[in-house]
Amino acid sequence: MNMLVRKGNPIRKPEVWLRQADNENVVYDPETSVVHILNATATAIWVLCDGETTPDEMVEAICELSGLPREVVVEDLRRILLQFEEADILTWKV
Amino acid sequence: MAEGDGVIRVLLADEQSLFRQAVKVVLSSEDDLNVVGEAADGLQAIAEVERVRPDVALLDAGLPNCDGIRATRQITLRVPECRVIVFSAQEDEQILVQALEAGASGYLSKGSALVDLIEATRAVHRGDALIPPRMLGALLKRLIHRRRERDEAMRRMGKLTRREREVLALLARGADNDGIAQHLVISPETARTHIQNVLGKLDVHSRLEAAAFVTQNGILDDLAGAPR
Repeated sequence: MNMLVRKGNPIRKPEVWLRQADNENVVYDPETSVVHILNATATAIWVLCDGETTPDEMVEAICELSGLPREVVVEDLRRILLQFEEADILTWKV
Repeated sequence: MAEGDGVIRVLLADEQSLFRQAVKVVLSSEDDLNVVGEAADGLQAIAEVERVRPDVALLDAGLPNCDGIRATRQITLRVPECRVIVFSAQEDEQILVQALEAGASGYLSKGSALVDLIEATRAVHRGDALIPPRMLGALLKRLIHRRRERDEAMRRMGKLTRREREVLALLARGADNDGIAQHLVISPETARTHIQNVLGKLDVHSRLEAAAFVTQNGILDDLAGAPR
């Protein structure tokens, strides 16, 4: 698919941690002391960014669970991963 | 508001009478919700759903006499228009997956706020699926893991010849060497050779493991054309 024009699989920066509470999901980067608030979808994708799961696998699973069209899921995933990347909390494992 | 005028008819199944009564009071205080039936165990829940035909059934996963998962399977089979929400004492990923696989439209823990239960009832009635957001990531991981296992199973299956697939289908149905030989009109020695090849290609160590491989991966249907 290479939908993200990136090689490899997305992986969370190891020093960044996630805190899930009742109504909010917070990602905290101790290097920059920046806090990111994630919605449920972004949090689920964050959990999948383990360096082993391919973007294709993410798309297939989200499609299966949500019933959404593939192109919609691909676009959402691309946008969310780019946001993680721009926030410097995600890298790519080749 | 009169029934049939936008009122969602709800059946509530939980072993604990106090819990049922509390939830009933809360749901009935909403104009668009009406609790039309109750059940204290799984079998009763199935019977009540068939009798009163509710729009939504709320089932505790731990119901006695047919648990909530099995009851969900029966309800969605017998009364497909009834949407089911399964709830459990704590958020449990395994119960969530089992509930969804059984046909449930939603899952909640008993730790959820009552307002969440009300909204969940409305949501599944609208046709939405309801999964606790905190469990979404774990659920997706599980789906991906399962898909990988299925792909791996299909890869191994792809190594089998047509004859070996026939042998595997018979193995999965419990046939022994003689039974396989008789069914395929081959000698017992040839049957044994096929079995050894099947075990080797599937990377399993016994007939039992081969049968489990077929069952766990749900590939008996993929052995189409194999003898019955």
